[in-house]
Amino acid sequence: MKPPENQPAFGAGFMDDYFAEAEEHIVTVRRSLLTLEGALGSELPAAVLEELFRSCHSLKGISAMVELREAELLAHHMESGLRAIRNHQVALTPVNFEALVVAGRTLEHVVAAHRAGSPLPDIEEPIRQLRALATPDGPGDSSSSIAGQAAQAAPAGAPLPRWKVTFVPSAELVARGVKVDTVRARLLEIGQVLRVIPKVTAGGGIAFEFELETRDESKLAAWREDGVAYEPMPVIAPDVPSVLTPGAPSEAFAAGTANFVRVDLSRLDDLMRLVGDMVVARARLADTLERVEEHVPFREWRALQEHNAGLERHLRDLREGVMRVRLVPVGEIFRRMPFVVRDLARDYGKRVRLDLAGGSTEIDKFLIERMMDPVIHLVRNAISHGIEPPAQRAAAGKPAEGVIRLGASTSGESIVVEISDDGAGIDVPAVVARGRAAGLAVPEGPDDTRALLDLLCASGFSTREEADRGSGRGVGMAVVRSTVRELGGLLALETAPGRGTTFRVTLPLTLAITDAIIAQVGDQVFAVPQSAVREVIEVDAAALRKIERNELLTYRGGTLPIVRLSQLFAIESEERPRFHAVVVGAGLAAVGLMVDRIAGQREIVVKTITDPLLRVDGISGATELGDGRLVLILDAPALSRMQAGRQSRSEGVRA
Amino acid sequence: MNYILFGVAGTTYAMRSDHVLHMEMVEHVTAVPNAPAFVEGVVFSRGQVVPVINLRARFGFERAPIDLRTRLLIVQTQGRRVGLMADEAREFVGIPDDAVRPPGDAIVGLSGNYLEGVATLGDRIVLILDIREVVDALPTAAA
Repeated sequence: MKPPENQPAFGAGFMDDYFAEAEEHIVTVRRSLLTLEGALGSELPAAVLEELFRSCHSLKGISAMVELREAELLAHHMESGLRAIRNHQVALTPVNFEALVVAGRTLEHVVAAHRAGSPLPDIEEPIRQLRALATPDGPGDSSSSIAGQAAQAAPAGAPLPRWKVTFVPSAELVARGVKVDTVRARLLEIGQVLRVIPKVTAGGGIAFEFELETRDESKLAAWREDGVAYEPMPVIAPDVPSVLTPGAPSEAFAAGTANFVRVDLSRLDDLMRLVGDMVVARARLADTLERVEEHVPFREWRALQEHNAGLERHLRDLREGVMRVRLVPVGEIFRRMPFVVRDLARDYGKRVRLDLAGGSTEIDKFLIERMMDPVIHLVRNAISHGIEPPAQRAAAGKPAEGVIRLGASTSGESIVVEISDDGAGIDVPAVVARGRAAGLAVPEGPDDTRALLDLLCASGFSTREEADRGSGRGVGMAVVRSTVRELGGLLALETAPGRGTTFRVTLPLTLAITDAIIAQVGDQVFAVPQSAVREVIEVDAAALRKIERNELLTYRGGTLPIVRLSQLFAIESEERPRFHAVVVGAGLAAVGLMVDRIAGQREIVVKTITDPLLRVDGISGATELGDGRLVLILDAPALSRMQAGRQSRSEGVRA
Repeated sequence: MNYILFGVAGTTYAMRSDHVLHMEMVEHVTAVPNAPAFVEGVVFSRGQVVPVINLRARFGFERAPIDLRTRLLIVQTQGRRVGLMADEAREFVGIPDDAVRPPGDAIVGLSGNYLEGVATLGDRIVLILDIREVVDALPTAAA
């Protein structure tokens, strides 16, 4: 199905659509293959096979449209192989299955490489393997009528299969007497045309998209020479569970794909920025209102205040609405993991089971994209370093199959992603020895997990000697941690010898706009994101206990280190008998930030600080409160880290 | 080549005008604790977070109070946007390339490290700043 001669190259917009669509099908291919693997040697689930087949078919079609020949060929041969399996001409042996997996992965690489403009991987070998799999087709077109057969097998009353038929007219076709009316007439002969959408192609040409309902799509193949391309439309199949939301499929999913709008993330960014501008504008309005209070009659002033309050409420709703649109299930990260685990477990000769939990937890799309590589890296680490080989596990009295658990959950305005394994735990002496060998400053006996994590994340530690696949993409622990920090998150570690290791990533739900406590120290104003604040307490200075350079407060049955921001930031501020402390962080990492005054709670628009001149520990960003002045946003996790650092310096290493 | 002339502690400096996005009067600069000493602070300029370098401090002079003549030159270099605080901004001039000499050994003093060249305009001597050096975040002896 070559596009007609007069069709110029497709534009970038069209390619974006292709990549987006190809990605969806590739995800389906991955998922279906994985399901099939579980069923090897037993009855193959027909629905999954069917789904896989359809995705390959679609990939073939769309790849042909963009003239990505390699992808088209791979998809074509996968399709042929699958047909042979579906028709019971060939059994799905592990060897055959492997051929499909290799082809699927190569296909994925081809699309990715094409997108990146890099050289395409070799497709000859995967295709050779697939050829060996498929028995030769009978004469006729390669595209069988599998969907049609499926439809015939479907119970009466089931919807007819729908096809998207695209016709691209050309001078050559017109010369042969093939025009859009000809095509329409042909389609009407074999089914019902639901819609015709004329489309301007990126190249400035025109194409017609027909939505066709028919059982008899085999004729379509014969019209390919006449500029007709076709692919199945997504079937609304209530019996196919949505993978995105295993727990409770949202209404949108249940309603089928037709109700989705694919939106460029940058448009949502623009929208969020506009909302941010409005939040600032409203803050200015509120500021002005405060100042004119005495000049305006009370009644009018009150009306103004009410309008302002109403505006604030609506803005908040608007902001939450936009934020919700940006949220996607964290399952998007998870869906790739079974493949990563499967491949690596085989490479390392380990047996690993992957447990996924909380895939429907939602998180900002931007965060998802950024977190993909770090999470993959942590899972890779869990397999390469965490889980022991089967023999060693057996010797330790553990089941031969190791378990990696990947879970996500929300807690307040944060999302927590946990990657844990039931492996050997981190070998602390080995890590220390390696740190020393790498020339890193290693504290004596880092039995503190935080110090251990610091060491693992020190640049120069994790990537040095690991040229194996486990560290494959060059994302060391240092990058994992810096990515998490850049996103305003926190990385924590728990490990127990013989019992396993857990990495916990805590991230804010969204970055752009958040609620914050506004506090003053001397003449400087700071904002503390609400998500980091546990509570604000009033402290009697006399209740502070001094231990060396630390000031501790008895707090909820434990002690809470107090951080004097005035000291930390060298701000002049007078000593007070009573002051406020903003309690941030959880558990042992909790600290109280001493401030002079709490100026209230505000919605702030977060601007990140990226310039190296402004990279200061304890400051994460900037915002504007409405008077045009810039206010710094405190990085609560960093402040609690800094306090911990001070403590260990002054107390020595705690045992 | 076009340049913007500005004054810092009685000396006239020049910077290639294609580096300069715009100029602003200086109102409130938010101090950034623990930043290098020559960083006056941070401001929003047209919605962006921009660090402000106090050129007096950068060149090793005493700081001077901000007044109505103080100007912020917002410059763009190496993908960064940085504000340079000068005592005043004077004019926009074209300096022929052959009027620019390398800084040489004749210029002594802290700003010598940040110079790209020296130009003579009639009876005036103008020091041409090397913007990359000025905005470099690496701590220097002055910081």
